[in-house]
Amino acid sequence: MPKSVLVVDDEPNIMLSLEYLMKRAGYEVRLARDGDEALTSVLEAPPDLVLLDINIPKRNGYEVCQAIRSNPDLSNVRILMVTAKGREVEIEKGLALGADGYATKPFSTKELAERVAKLLNGSDAADE
Amino acid sequence: MGERLSLRLRFFLFFALIIVAVPVLLGGGLWLASQRLEGNPVPPLVLFGGAAGMALILLIMWVWQMFDANIAQPIQSLVRDLQTLMHANLKHEIDIDKGRYLGLLGPVVREIADSFATARRDVAAEIESATRSLDEQRSQLEALLRELSQGVIVCNSNHRILLYNRRALQILGVTEEIGLGRPLFSVLNQQPFTLTLDRLTNRYIENQAGADPDRLMSNLVFAKKDGSLILQGRMSLIVEDADKSINGYVLTFDDVTTELQDLIKSDRLMRSTLEGLRHPVANLRAAVEMLVDMPPEEEQGRRAFENVLTEEAMTLSSELERFGEEYRAIVTSQWPMSDVHSGNLLNALTRRFRDDESIICDVTGDPIWLRCDSTTIVALLDHAIRKALIELDANTFLLSARESETRTYIDVSWKGEVASPSMIERWLREPIERGLGLTGEEILEHHKSEAWCEAAASSQARLRIPLLPAASKHSQSTSTAPLPIRLEFYDFNLLKPAEIGEMAQRGLRDLTYVVFDTETTGLEPSNGDEIIQIAGVRILNGRVLTGEAFDHLVDPGRRVPPLATRITGISQEMVNGKPPIKEVLPRFKDYVGDAVLVAHNAAFDMKFLQLKQDACGLKFDNPVLDTVLLSAIVHDHTNQHTLDAVAERFSIEIPPETRHTALGDSLATAGVLLKLIDLLEVHNIRTLGEAIEASNRIVEIRRRQAKY
Repeated sequence: MPKSVLVVDDEPNIMLSLEYLMKRAGYEVRLARDGDEALTSVLEAPPDLVLLDINIPKRNGYEVCQAIRSNPDLSNVRILMVTAKGREVEIEKGLALGADGYATKPFSTKELAERVAKLLNGSDAADE
Repeated sequence: MGERLSLRLRFFLFFALIIVAVPVLLGGGLWLASQRLEGNPVPPLVLFGGAAGMALILLIMWVWQMFDANIAQPIQSLVRDLQTLMHANLKHEIDIDKGRYLGLLGPVVREIADSFATARRDVAAEIESATRSLDEQRSQLEALLRELSQGVIVCNSNHRILLYNRRALQILGVTEEIGLGRPLFSVLNQQPFTLTLDRLTNRYIENQAGADPDRLMSNLVFAKKDGSLILQGRMSLIVEDADKSINGYVLTFDDVTTELQDLIKSDRLMRSTLEGLRHPVANLRAAVEMLVDMPPEEEQGRRAFENVLTEEAMTLSSELERFGEEYRAIVTSQWPMSDVHSGNLLNALTRRFRDDESIICDVTGDPIWLRCDSTTIVALLDHAIRKALIELDANTFLLSARESETRTYIDVSWKGEVASPSMIERWLREPIERGLGLTGEEILEHHKSEAWCEAAASSQARLRIPLLPAASKHSQSTSTAPLPIRLEFYDFNLLKPAEIGEMAQRGLRDLTYVVFDTETTGLEPSNGDEIIQIAGVRILNGRVLTGEAFDHLVDPGRRVPPLATRITGISQEMVNGKPPIKEVLPRFKDYVGDAVLVAHNAAFDMKFLQLKQDACGLKFDNPVLDTVLLSAIVHDHTNQHTLDAVAERFSIEIPPETRHTALGDSLATAGVLLKLIDLLEVHNIRTLGEAIEASNRIVEIRRRQAKY
């Protein structure tokens, strides 16, 4: 069974590429445009990984991240945060709130795909 | 002569004269009568004349007594009452019962006296309220000046300085050259000021009637005398309300050099980024349009365009990274921050909850050095704790600090629920009490930081705020061994009043003081310990002149031991290249002048000064007061006279980052001195001589206690 990835972002132009990228990598892809939608989707059927942008409407990425982490049923969900905020202290905050990794926009799609693969293959690394 | 005789005596003498006159006149008359009468008239004349004379004398004496008791005495007591009323006691009652024979005089005098007393009291109350509002205005003005980010100097029309704020000193980069009453032109170039003042004065004289306030101001650019700074400012005239004369001006100014540099830098960055983006965007756009509008037939041509797309997208990305980095470097916070010992910071925080029974707050873990603006960070943490109390029902908080390689953290932990990111964001959006009107968000932004709350071990929630590591090395910062307390010294020959002469008579409130403190390599001057920092502040007319502080690091000419660095925060690197004591001490002597020297545990500091003074060809023979001893006089119920204990008793807050710096301790001691002067008055100690005498008694008591 293919691994599933939930892409959460409110910019259609990047979602197009991310959806395509993840599908090409062989994952089953779902999309969410804001925090509420993301949480509902995660609770309905927990994905293996969430590509989570921080600046999304309704609930921000930090909030979604902490909600996922505080639910023991979702402990297998990997979270890769994606954001335009590039300060080190923000990266640290994301990791402290339970993200497994962090990518700053703009990123290399190849590297992003590699990191997703790495997280999904269990070599969980909170490495930057 | 007659003036000096009392009223009663004068009346008495008057009646006495009549009494003396009675036998003389009566005797004389009867004697003349006896000459004319026949026979032997003498015995009956003597008998009846004597009897009548005696009766007359008795009558006169009785009248005198009545007169004395009912007229002279009441008048005299009325006069005494009036004198008391006028010179001593406004509440004094005038007794008019005794003077009822004086008719309306008593009641009228009483009426006059009452209205006099009322008038006096009104005047006194008015003066008091005027003084109070003046004091309030002055402290408001002082607070305002302190907060201003601009330099402010007020001068009289002879360009002598009447007032200035600390920012002015910072901008001009001077410490002692600017002081009250000193000429402005010892620091700044004269010409722009005289020219501008003349111009404004002329404008004012010509245009007095319709004086538009804006016309009394003028912008000016001026320079420091040594040419190191160009400053931009504004001069506004101060016009006396009463007689419309010009009696000075206010100068506000800013150092525009750095702003200008920042502006130039960011302008340059903008321009280079714009150009840097133009090329890759042009290349991208051209390539995309080619690919979409007129796709090349052959594979090779398409590949070439695709290569351009990849390459230019990469260039755009890296150009953006460069922009971000350089931009961040320009806007690095201008917010003032200093190295703070976490122990001091967190203890300052727990003190805020000491009186609050609903909150238990404690510090745990090893202290570290970190870099922040302690005032706003303490206010922020205070706010967060109170919010957690209300919204999460937590009431026991543990505060700690820890460090990683690149960062330091303040952690607040409580047992219970974690605060969600949105909850924290809400807390941070509220303005914080005692946080200078800032919100938590703004305070964190100044520190380039974020705050979050995570779950920690044993169902604890941990609120974490990352901060910068300390800028300078504070060695052994994590050691927890208790710091040795500076011992009190009792070598009080040092404090013997060296012929203070007539100064002894002067009131404690009227003296000029220099309150000072030294930081040293150790506690034994006779064993090679040296001064590494010396600071002082002046007190004039009961006010601490914080702006005119003396504050200098000193190269001790020996190694600074790690323990000294731990206590004082002064490291070897900080004193390297600083002037030696031989240069600093004469400047300190100049600063002190003939003021009274004051220190907390003065004998300690004086010992260091006096061991060095000969080598510098100086003599510190100023009168000395010791706040430890003065505190022992007014608080004889306790033995706690450390600076922390005394300051605490007077609720003088010592900002944690300035404790154990010479200037910070001097300022705290100055505050303590002013409070002590108030209390000494209650103990009937009002003059310098009395204060020194009382201090000597305390020394004597302690000397005796030490024998047992």
